[in-house]
Amino acid sequence: MSAVEAVRVTAPERHDILSWITTTDHKRIGVLYMATTLLFMAVAGLLAIAIRTQLARPDGTLLQPHAYNQIFTLHGTAMIFLVIAPFALGLANYLIPLQIGAPDMAFPRLNATSYWMFLFGGLVVFAGAATNEGAASAGWTSYAPLSEIIISTGLGQDFWIVGLAMVSVASIMTALNFVTTTFILRAPGMTMWRIPIFTWEMVATSLLIFMAFPSLTATLLLLFVDRRLGGHVFDPAFGGSPILYQHLFWFFGHPEVYVLILPYFGVVSEVISTFTGRPLFGYTGMVLSAFAIAGLSMGVWAHHMFTTGAVNNPFFSFVSFLIAVPTGIKFFNWVCTMWGGSIRYTTAMLFALGFLMNFLLGGVTGVMVASPPLDFHAQDSYFVVAHFHYTIGGGSFFALFAAVYYWWPKVFGWRLSERLGKINFWLTFAGFNLTFLPMFFMGVFGMPRRIYTYANAGALPQLNAIATAGAYLMLIAAVVFITNVVVSARRREPAGDNPWHGYTLEWATSSPPPEYNFRRLPPIRSARPLWDVEHPKNAEAR
Amino acid sequence: MHAQTWPAIGSTQAAALAEDWWIFTYAAIVVAVFVWGLILYAAVRFRRTARNPEPRSQKDANPPLEIAWTVAPLLIVIALFVRTAHIETEVEAQAKVHQVEIAVDGYRWGWTFAYRGGPTVRGTAEHPPEMVLPLGEVASIRVSSSDVVHSFWIPDMLFKRDAIPGQVSAFDLTPTKEGTFLGRCGEFCGLDHALMSFRVRVVAPVAYERWRKGEATR
Repeated sequence: MSAVEAVRVTAPERHDILSWITTTDHKRIGVLYMATTLLFMAVAGLLAIAIRTQLARPDGTLLQPHAYNQIFTLHGTAMIFLVIAPFALGLANYLIPLQIGAPDMAFPRLNATSYWMFLFGGLVVFAGAATNEGAASAGWTSYAPLSEIIISTGLGQDFWIVGLAMVSVASIMTALNFVTTTFILRAPGMTMWRIPIFTWEMVATSLLIFMAFPSLTATLLLLFVDRRLGGHVFDPAFGGSPILYQHLFWFFGHPEVYVLILPYFGVVSEVISTFTGRPLFGYTGMVLSAFAIAGLSMGVWAHHMFTTGAVNNPFFSFVSFLIAVPTGIKFFNWVCTMWGGSIRYTTAMLFALGFLMNFLLGGVTGVMVASPPLDFHAQDSYFVVAHFHYTIGGGSFFALFAAVYYWWPKVFGWRLSERLGKINFWLTFAGFNLTFLPMFFMGVFGMPRRIYTYANAGALPQLNAIATAGAYLMLIAAVVFITNVVVSARRREPAGDNPWHGYTLEWATSSPPPEYNFRRLPPIRSARPLWDVEHPKNAEAR
Repeated sequence: MHAQTWPAIGSTQAAALAEDWWIFTYAAIVVAVFVWGLILYAAVRFRRTARNPEPRSQKDANPPLEIAWTVAPLLIVIALFVRTAHIETEVEAQAKVHQVEIAVDGYRWGWTFAYRGGPTVRGTAEHPPEMVLPLGEVASIRVSSSDVVHSFWIPDMLFKRDAIPGQVSAFDLTPTKEGTFLGRCGEFCGLDHALMSFRVRVVAPVAYERWRKGEATR
């Protein structure tokens, strides 16, 4: 094997707290990001348990409406802004330099700044709960005029605005780092069409962040001006426009849902390819479809506004339908990747398969709600709640766990227990579907979202009881996961450099990788450099 | 009262909307079952076993196939779009003359129904208002709000329209079934959003006239 020896003299690695606070190492920042998002996930998950407990029976009395409204607002805000999206940013922080054979990010200090700004932004959002009137309670969308000072008088709403503005700016800086790193720091031989699919999906995600997050920052700023500086941007009594808020918010908000899913498309592609022992089928189509989805997703925002009577429904409906095409391409490519393979059912692969099964339902119901007449009934009902949980929960959340089980040995140098991992998967899969499948019917039966109680009539009591049982099953799954981490940490079963026979460069270095990542790099002659090393006679030439 | 179960589909517009639901539900089920089938077949058929210890192929592209699965879904969604656009036009069509015109105003947390040339019905979360409609006659409903965004939703008619302050949004409703149906606020509007309901009572035109006159003299 010809190799590029990295010549670098570094001081021995330190592991004290100060070294973690001052670190600019992309791997440590990645770990900080992911650990933080998992802690936020625990909080947001417990909030979901509170929601399901309140709704387990009709006329629930566990929570007062004000408490309930804060809880679902924080649950949604945290899962979207502080868990699913930033976990992907953390994972990408860890993986992009490793996958492209780089020693670190292009801007390591900016990278550290992004993380700390994200952390404090998240803490500020939660800190709103400690103010007199409690945390923000206008929903994660915080529609004006509901979120205006006349109605939402509490400081919690301001904490929400300021915290999310910090998270938003942090995300833009991180995206800048990802794109720059991928474009200029690739190792010799790592041409554009050899970049691993996860990194490609992150490039598409970053472009979406560039386009969408400034709109979020602006929306938050304008809302703050209205609330605290006497503005009337969204106040109809003074010529302001509530519809403008919705346009600005969803101009960010719809691309955001693709920020929540594209990275996880990348994760699933990597995991399926590795465990089937085959190259990713239709690599070119996979890359192009990521950019097609990113592009189309910029033109669909008003499909969240079909019932306002104030937008051109057919236009936004048609563009929304079109997104099904590149998404379909991805599904067929995943199936063809498995076709002719020899699939090893590790926990990571099970979570990836769970992703395929769940996300498909999220996808086809997505086409349903892209039809405006259908939306006249489904909009803001539990049908929509079910739909987006099948995409972000059944999709992203499952892929997130696939990523945890797949890259854990690389990050820590030891494996998680596969036995506990499989129990974790099956409980999550059963619990998830038990929780969210009934919600499609709740929506059709006329249950609006964001209600703290419902009457004891019709089929809603039974459906809600089933959903709550499912939620508790997922809670047990979470306990199994935590147990797995604790038990496996004691056992410390060594992972080796490449425990799964992965093909991409992160598996070519030690586990965990040294500072600056690579002592030597294998030659890069295809999208699967480690396959070429293992199969010198059968090497791919791309 | 009919509530919280399969929608009664109680209007001309709802019949068209139900058709949209059926088209999309069938399409979703057919596509989902087809792709689930492919995924599960591949997942089981190509699992690692003693007889399948190694991947049998490293082929990673098939351009004709890839073009096919790009074009076929494109044709499907175009067909769905054409149908859905047609149904939307049908549902949103408004008659030139209306026997009944009602201005709906949403506020936290109740509704006002002001009948043109008739009574005004008010209600709160504790005492939900009732909208009385004559069977088979076209009612024009004009929705607005006094404070935040609400949504006027009658699940049994498969229809809602947002009540947005500073904007009036009109649609037609032609009831085809007698009975009382639950209506509710669809857009989150704060503390008592869950309780912001109303009733729609559809009666024979004669009974409607009697009700209207009775309300007017009250």
